[in-house]
Amino acid sequence: MTVEGKYANLVATVKQECKDADENEIIEEFRRYEEEFLIPPEDALRSVIRKFQAAAGIEVTGSPSSRSSSPEIKKVDRFSELGSEDRNVTVEVAVVSYTPRMQKMKNGEERQIAFGWIEDNPWESGDKRERWDYKDWGGHSQNLAPGSVVRLEGVSVNEWNDKKSININRTSRISVLREGGQANVQPSDEPISIEKASQSEGFVSIVARVLSTKKDVIVKRDGSGQLNVVRGRLADSTGSIGMLSWSDFDHEPGTLLKIEGASIRRFRDTPEVNISDSSRVEVFHDNSFASLEDLEPTTKSNISGLRNGMRDVEITLQVESWYQRTFTSKDGSERVVRSGDVMDPTGRCRLTAWCDFDPKPGDFIHLTEARVQSWQGSPDLVIDEITQATSLESPTWDKIDPEDHWVDVGLTELVEGGTRRGVRTNGTIVLVTGDSGIIERCPVQLPDRNRKCRKRLRDGNCVDCGPQRGEEDLRIRMVLDDGVSNVSLLLSKDPAEKFLGMSQEEVAETISKEGQEAFLMSVREKSLGRGVSVNGLALIDDQGAMLLADSVQDDGLDASKAAEMVIQKWEVAM
Amino acid sequence: MIESQRRVRQSAIRMLAQEYSDASLTEMGVGEYDPSFVITKLGARVNRALVAGVIDRMERRDGDSGPSYSGHIRDPTGNHVFNIAPFQDEMHAEAEELLARFESGDRFLMALVGKSRWFETEDGGVFTSLRVEQIAIIDKERYSRWLVEAAEATLRRIKAYDDSSGVEPSPDSLEGAGVPSDLLNGMAQARSHYPEFDSENYKVGVLQALSIASGRSSMAEASSVSASMANEAPEDREQPTVQAPIEPVGDISSTIISAIKSADGGEGAEYDAIILSCVQSGFSREEAEDALEGMRDVDGTIIEPRFGFFQVL
Repeated sequence: MTVEGKYANLVATVKQECKDADENEIIEEFRRYEEEFLIPPEDALRSVIRKFQAAAGIEVTGSPSSRSSSPEIKKVDRFSELGSEDRNVTVEVAVVSYTPRMQKMKNGEERQIAFGWIEDNPWESGDKRERWDYKDWGGHSQNLAPGSVVRLEGVSVNEWNDKKSININRTSRISVLREGGQANVQPSDEPISIEKASQSEGFVSIVARVLSTKKDVIVKRDGSGQLNVVRGRLADSTGSIGMLSWSDFDHEPGTLLKIEGASIRRFRDTPEVNISDSSRVEVFHDNSFASLEDLEPTTKSNISGLRNGMRDVEITLQVESWYQRTFTSKDGSERVVRSGDVMDPTGRCRLTAWCDFDPKPGDFIHLTEARVQSWQGSPDLVIDEITQATSLESPTWDKIDPEDHWVDVGLTELVEGGTRRGVRTNGTIVLVTGDSGIIERCPVQLPDRNRKCRKRLRDGNCVDCGPQRGEEDLRIRMVLDDGVSNVSLLLSKDPAEKFLGMSQEEVAETISKEGQEAFLMSVREKSLGRGVSVNGLALIDDQGAMLLADSVQDDGLDASKAAEMVIQKWEVAM
Repeated sequence: MIESQRRVRQSAIRMLAQEYSDASLTEMGVGEYDPSFVITKLGARVNRALVAGVIDRMERRDGDSGPSYSGHIRDPTGNHVFNIAPFQDEMHAEAEELLARFESGDRFLMALVGKSRWFETEDGGVFTSLRVEQIAIIDKERYSRWLVEAAEATLRRIKAYDDSSGVEPSPDSLEGAGVPSDLLNGMAQARSHYPEFDSENYKVGVLQALSIASGRSSMAEASSVSASMANEAPEDREQPTVQAPIEPVGDISSTIISAIKSADGGEGAEYDAIILSCVQSGFSREEAEDALEGMRDVDGTIIEPRFGFFQVL
């Protein structure tokens, strides 16, 4: 069938609506929809008609969704100021009652609504208030607890049989100004898993087995004395967690305990169960609970699981490099510190040894009771005594090639984990920030360290060093997103140049010729919605997650391959 | 127990146009910086979305506070409505450029990331849209990749929806039923709000997206595949679990009449909205289009006073 023939019926339909449209142009339009925009000709009909109508100047605007401008906000203190026509009203009220009920809607859906009484003038005593009925159509139960004082915004007045009432709609906004009498959320005494407890703050109850205990002493900072405490580790089948008891704790390792009213506090990034006099600790009996031997593996760490502030870490590593340096400490004595890069199958980090430890690159080593300290955001291992380290005779895993050791980590795992070096992750670029491009950095040489300040100048000013003549640098900031999790993605000069296919000089020239906006548009066209694979360092802290890219490349999938993979994975019958 | 509260950026949900325009459940953030959400029938909590398609409409309106822009981008299942507000002046130059290209008759594929917005009519109808955060013209390959991502995300939600059937709609119970953690809250809300429906509805769009992206079939075949899929659907829906819309399923004319009545705000009901609500009631797109034209041209029960807008006579 010829192209013309294939579209003949559709073209005739378009001609009916738009008499002056050129037939070949119509055919070309259907072809473009089919081949370029992947929309079948039958489905494209309406769009094509609309296009030719627009070209002919026929009015086609006005869809319901584009209706604009809600009525002006009416703010009142008393119900008496309201008329029956008022919409978009803002008023502060006291909630007297809230009664939920199911109501069948016009379209057959059942919907939970609620009705009750509210009173205006909520800050005055009851005899100065007026009471009205209200209906809640928007499921605002959480914010309408009886006894509370709230501000209603975007509510409307309803009048029926000469009686006015308030409608609270789905789009209305309710701000609680004073909490109601009854507490809605009761703290639960139900024990939770250690995995869950590690993610929470405040008071928890857990059931866990004691793995280890050790008496310790905390010296008060003000010098007023010292406190005896017990440190240790607790575990269940979901993981293990450090413990610090401020009161007597004489349970042997292996004991199963139920601990109620313990609090979770964080030392740096590491959660810890704190037991005080007000906590209740009792021996618990549960034959099905994991035994001490079963729980042992939870105490062994890998690099991806390291968090700043951890203690008693047991871990196996492959050494990548090893150095030592001598320095003069504050008290004038010479000290030696040894350190190097280490790896395991889950990533890489740095190891520092304050003792006489000299492994060779490629060696496998085993550490016990190591601690984790953060250096530039990356959690690194530290040992203080040579007894903490053993060299292993035989390799624990197939030797890792340090040149190409990128550990694949899903975006969600990456974001929920801790800072990690040497990761590779996939996602789609959903944002290129407006400050991407050429920036100026502070050139001041720092006196105590062998490097420049390099802070970003704002309007020619460095926050630390004052006004400066900056050094130009190239940087791109983006957001990588997989639909479930996201991370901000930073490309410094080298990866940015490779990603853009332009040198820093070319970028600077483009911006000076065409402007920052045009440059950003071109970067967005290159990036937005593009699936990429990123190698780099993931920095995770309270502020969120950031990925410093070593390199950014296409993920190597084309659409048809990706589609086939989805069809197989989800067993889609085509 | 207080969950630690770090204000995290909301991830961009991938979804086809039909799922978003079907949604009628919304959640307004309580505090000043709390995010708002549109919750779809398949349990996606949408604060931000990544969508793509061919530009289908675009217009500018000049208000007191400056120009605003709105438009449609179209994927195999329908249109996403987008807009750019007067205060987003950093995007106005780009919007003007797109508008000029559109008005000159050019059509092109776009990807856009936007924040969910909605408009609620007096009778409780909800119209969802996206306020653009970033927008770019893209090529066919990147569009096809998006189709695959959106299809997979939809399949994941369909599975979660099916898995949650008969389960108490609370996050804890849903977790036990195998619903992924990012969908727990949304699924609990969707299950409590929307009546039970047949998730096969959304499979049609997924199949279309995948068959286009995989290059398995030409466009025309893709549309007939989906049409036959949709034709099978009405039998499936006869099950008693499906809560009937206003009129009994099976009579397409009354479905069309009620769709027009509920969407007609005085200026007529829009073509796409009518067809969509027929498709949701189990009719195929073709059936709906034929029936709509028949009612206009043969029965005369409805009129089309303006092209694309229908009213009951």
